[in-house]
Amino acid sequence: MPVDLRCALFYSRKDIFKNKKIFAFITLSIIFATANIIVINGLTDGMIKDLVDNTIESSSGHLNIYPADNERFIEGLGVKEQRLAALEEVEAYSPRLSASGVLSNKELSASVAILALDPDKERRTTKLLDKITKGMALNSNDNNAILVSYRLAEDLKLDVGDEAELAFENGKSKVYNVKGIIRTGAADFDSSTVIMPLNEANQQLAFDNSASVILIKLSDKELADAYMPVIMQVLGVSNVKTWKEETEYLLSFAEAWQSFSSIISAVGLVAAAISVGIIIYINVIHKTRQIGIMKAIGAKDDFIFTVFLMEAVLFGVIGVSIGDGVGYFAVKYLEAHPFPEPMLGSMAPRFYMYLLYDASLVTMLTVILAAVYPAFIAGRMNIIKAIWGD
Amino acid sequence: MEMIRTGNLKKSYMPGKVEVKALNGVDTSIEHGEFVAIMGPSGGGKSTFLNLVGMLDTPTSGEIYIDGSDVTKMNSNTRAEYRLKHIGFVFQFFNLFNELTAVENVMFPMMLNKQSGYKYRAKELLNLVGLGDRLHHLPSELSGGQQQRVTIARSLANDPKMLLADEPTGNLDTKSSIEIIELFRKLNQERGQTIVMVTHSPEIGGMADRIIHFRDGIIENL
Repeated sequence: MPVDLRCALFYSRKDIFKNKKIFAFITLSIIFATANIIVINGLTDGMIKDLVDNTIESSSGHLNIYPADNERFIEGLGVKEQRLAALEEVEAYSPRLSASGVLSNKELSASVAILALDPDKERRTTKLLDKITKGMALNSNDNNAILVSYRLAEDLKLDVGDEAELAFENGKSKVYNVKGIIRTGAADFDSSTVIMPLNEANQQLAFDNSASVILIKLSDKELADAYMPVIMQVLGVSNVKTWKEETEYLLSFAEAWQSFSSIISAVGLVAAAISVGIIIYINVIHKTRQIGIMKAIGAKDDFIFTVFLMEAVLFGVIGVSIGDGVGYFAVKYLEAHPFPEPMLGSMAPRFYMYLLYDASLVTMLTVILAAVYPAFIAGRMNIIKAIWGD
Repeated sequence: MEMIRTGNLKKSYMPGKVEVKALNGVDTSIEHGEFVAIMGPSGGGKSTFLNLVGMLDTPTSGEIYIDGSDVTKMNSNTRAEYRLKHIGFVFQFFNLFNELTAVENVMFPMMLNKQSGYKYRAKELLNLVGLGDRLHHLPSELSGGQQQRVTIARSLANDPKMLLADEPTGNLDTKSSIEIIELFRKLNQERGQTIVMVTHSPEIGGMADRIIHFRDGIIENL
């Protein structure tokens, strides 16, 4: 080994612990940089995961079957449901029918999106009906009841137990009892949606057991890409989308947000790197004579370089280890005490092991890089100038 | 047998626009086991000579043989290795590593030289210089004389062929100065250590076997 690392480590360790205040200052800046990366990225990832999960849970299956091009409804719904029920990886499915209408409460009225579904099948497929904030969920035979999204209820001053008249797109209308208020966190949905049983909607709209979409829940959502061709072949359908395609807009938003959070993390890292770089540089300048003596007694340039680089490594190891701990506990605390958020209700970071690995690696590399220049200066110092200042 | 031999040794500096000839053709030799004092007025070339034979600096021209090896042809790393193994330095301003205790300061060159048993030997050397009871004191907890003794113990760590001392008593009181020179004398007599010491003091210089006088970059024949 060209450099005696044990000797370099011995001196570096003694040197960094000599001045407790400087040690605390540098270590703190590394701790905050590391913890900052973990918390910011945990928050970003948590928010994205919540948004995606929420979307999948309430408005998308792992696979969604749509009508063929130029068709409004999926044909042969009964046969397709039978075939779906026979597929091994299909855990559940839920046909939905979309229509439009106008909901009125006395003199107030609003255009609404009608979402008709089979409550039993929907409950097995998504968590949409778990998102009722007031009142009760629908049953399949609730022919006189509807659920109203919370903003629509606010706009029309509707509450659970009230009656409202729903005019369908075919001109028919009927008075329904508001059985529950629902809030999903999806802005579009929450602003103007009425949910009703599929049978009732088909009857009012004079459709023959029709559906606009069939949501499919697989045993694992990651199977979606692989299972899509199977569904297409077995059911003879051509228009199938995976949950990733359905949440594409969220994923591109997530990408943009991740870039933003990377900038925030980078600012913290640069601050830590500058602190470490400056402190080690000042240390090198203050130790000019000692560096000269070290060289005079036989230390080579690369040994001196290693000593000061090793100091950065030690600062990094200590700061990153504590920073990992601080970041972990901060994320866990925020998981338990989430921020209030208007769309999702709350927003919290999520902890993943890769957050620790990424934060540790990036911070260590940055801290070491910050020390390269001062360590290089130390290694290249002229002995005579260093000792006598000539 | 010659420990140090220089031939027409020259060293010039260009601190500004005017060239300064610090050494202007020095021919000398120092034998194994000699205790030599280098004296002369400030700017006479004493320290420059010591830096060159100690391989801390490179000459502008001329020859330097240490124990028969032409050291002017060595590269930076080889010179560092040679200093580590064969030369011990004692400087005027003690120059200990402030963050290391006395025993750690003495251990350091041995660790650098990858020697085994360095802790035991460091204690032995500190006992030799009379600091067996100050092993774990930091330099700031030692007097000037004690610090200089730690420096001497450190310079002996790798059992060097020669000790080079640049005004080792320059910052010490008379009593401490005499103790240090007596220690040099003891090392010279008991261990056969070659010692080359720069000093301004005639009393200190007078305790050496031989005095070489430098003036205006050359050896002055008195």
